[in-house]
Amino acid sequence: MWKVAIGFVAGIALVGIVALNIMDQMMFKEHLSPFGFEETIARIQHNIADSPELKAKGWALSGLRNPAKAVQADGSNVLPVQMIEVCSTKYSGPILKEDTVRFLSILMPCKISVYKKQDGKTYIGTMNAGLMGKFFGPVVSPIMSKVAEDQKKFLEFDPSKPAPAIILPAAPAAGGGAGGGGGGC
Amino acid sequence: MLKKLIAGLGIVACAAFAVQTVKANMPPTPSAAAAPTPQILPKPATNSTADHSKFKELQKDFATGPDVTKACLTCHTEAAKQIQKTTHWTWEYLNPETKQRLGKKTIVNNFCTSVQSNYEFCTACHVGYGWKDQHFDFTAQENVDCLVCHDTTGTYRKIPGLAGHPAYKEMEYPPHSGKMVPAVNLKLVAQNIGKSSRRTCGACHFYGGGGDAVKHGDLDSSMTNPGKYLDVHMDKAGLNFSCATCHMTSGHQVPGSRYSMTKDGGDVGRMHMRGKQDANPETCIACHGNKPHPEKVGRLNNHTANIACQTCHIPEFARGGKATKMLWDWSTAGKLDKDGKPFSLKDSGGNESYNSKKGDFVDETNVIPEYIWFNGRIDYTLRETKLDPAHVIKINSFEGSPTDGKSKIWPIKLFKGKQPYDVGSNMLVVFHTYGKDDSALWSNFNWDKAIEFGMKEIGAQYSGKYAFVSTEMSWPITHMVAPKGDALTCKQCHAPDVGIGRLDKVPGIYMPGRRANPLLDLAGWGIAALTLIGVLLHGAGRIYMARKGH
Repeated sequence: MWKVAIGFVAGIALVGIVALNIMDQMMFKEHLSPFGFEETIARIQHNIADSPELKAKGWALSGLRNPAKAVQADGSNVLPVQMIEVCSTKYSGPILKEDTVRFLSILMPCKISVYKKQDGKTYIGTMNAGLMGKFFGPVVSPIMSKVAEDQKKFLEFDPSKPAPAIILPAAPAAGGGAGGGGGGC
Repeated sequence: MLKKLIAGLGIVACAAFAVQTVKANMPPTPSAAAAPTPQILPKPATNSTADHSKFKELQKDFATGPDVTKACLTCHTEAAKQIQKTTHWTWEYLNPETKQRLGKKTIVNNFCTSVQSNYEFCTACHVGYGWKDQHFDFTAQENVDCLVCHDTTGTYRKIPGLAGHPAYKEMEYPPHSGKMVPAVNLKLVAQNIGKSSRRTCGACHFYGGGGDAVKHGDLDSSMTNPGKYLDVHMDKAGLNFSCATCHMTSGHQVPGSRYSMTKDGGDVGRMHMRGKQDANPETCIACHGNKPHPEKVGRLNNHTANIACQTCHIPEFARGGKATKMLWDWSTAGKLDKDGKPFSLKDSGGNESYNSKKGDFVDETNVIPEYIWFNGRIDYTLRETKLDPAHVIKINSFEGSPTDGKSKIWPIKLFKGKQPYDVGSNMLVVFHTYGKDDSALWSNFNWDKAIEFGMKEIGAQYSGKYAFVSTEMSWPITHMVAPKGDALTCKQCHAPDVGIGRLDKVPGIYMPGRRANPLLDLAGWGIAALTLIGVLLHGAGRIYMARKGH
């Protein structure tokens, strides 16, 4: 009997260790970009802004934020990082209307992070919207599944197209906002 | 419970991303093609005993730069003679080690390639007036330009195409741009001269290669008023070093040259000694010594024999938001639009990626340097050097090895290019880019004519056939020194998270952890853990059995 108990506890411990180790990789995804830093940003932005399909689903760029700037202002350096902010009111609206999941507004707008790493390559960081949505019940789960599907389209690159220009925010918002206000949440 | 845990995770994750409350930042703005239009700067604080505006010689209107110089020389009688002995004037340097004759006057690089046959344009960065062809008088003292280094008003600007002169009357520059450059007020500038500054040095050194940030990678206009993050010594709100603080000048001789680099400051005998080590002032150790790190991180001092300070303390270059050129492909120059006119294209960051006059470019910010062994000796591929076009031609070769006892690991910018060479002689060619004649590449986009003219100009033979060869040029990285907290950390070389450390390509060194492999690490730790478990179980078993009396 004690062997079973030890085995059970060991099994739980093993699962816990494995879960802790892979949790971050499940919740967030990192993709290696085939393009340089600026071009990656521009291509993602244009994938979103120029797609009639995504436009029909309400997606719009809502900002471009540079967390590295604050570090620089503080007298230090980090490698380039920019966050593309994008939102669809068609998805955010129902979540914001439901009190039980309204706290998820903290995840809005959706962010796609583009950054360089020490190997000199450019990476794209996204949230695993599909998986996260599964934990928040019937209102959120189907919405996040759709967000996950659309997210894939954000990152579908066509290298045959020439590199577009970065879409700069229309104007910085007061208080360090992302500026732009082109749409979204 | 799980829901709360996930929500908590989400909040933490979002907070980690969104905690910055900065204003939206614009990506790097396009590099300007030339120095900005001047505005009069506030008069700098000075403890000088002379107010030049009160000098009678300077209280008149000047028609030209040489007229100002004549006035300067009435008091500063030796200044022009001193200048004429410097490389700033001669654009010529005889490397005592390699015996190669170097300098802008003769060298062919892989940016704009050559000054020869393009004097009027290139000599906008010469400290003189009137160098428009090979017949320039290097002995005429009035040809020395005092103002370009000593202007404090910010209004003095030498315009490419005027052979080193500023605009004496309002003119459009760049041509056909619609941008007007006002005529310089020479009297104002002459009455307000002062010490050289980051701005005056930067007027040329930040714009080398034809634009802001193009050439060096660690020198661009962001260094005019840098923040601490960009250069801890030049930080305008901190130490506020000017260029001359390190490149300490005496008799107009400015120490520090990439043609003959100072590896470790130990070459006593060069000009201008000072600092703890009695060594050349433009080196780090002239002030910081050979054991610069405090006791608690004293292990770092073991690195100084083999690793240049710059390697750790300049983790990336082009960090000021100005993209530096990493590639210049001349072979694609000359494409015209459907109306037969030259055109240009921009990349996603707003930098020029194609120009009919110059070809294709690749620009980059925050560049991670290449690292090499370097012993201070640099060999150049000269125009007369026979080359093998089947291989990439190294315009300059930084020599060094892990075993010569003289080399250190240095960071460099590796600049790649494609440029024309003479197929008949297998030598690099000089070609004529700028001029008001029919042979200039930028006017007629005809390589044959441009090369023929350029080669004739220097008196060299040309077979009449050209092709393009791939080239590389190395640039030492030594500016943009980051604050100490941003220096490379141990693991960036020794145990890199990404699998390959910074010094991975540097030969001849053993570094534990230089190629980390997560799976191998896991396997190793797994074996260690299983061994430990085995030992514990075995021990426990023996104790158990002993207690049972076996």
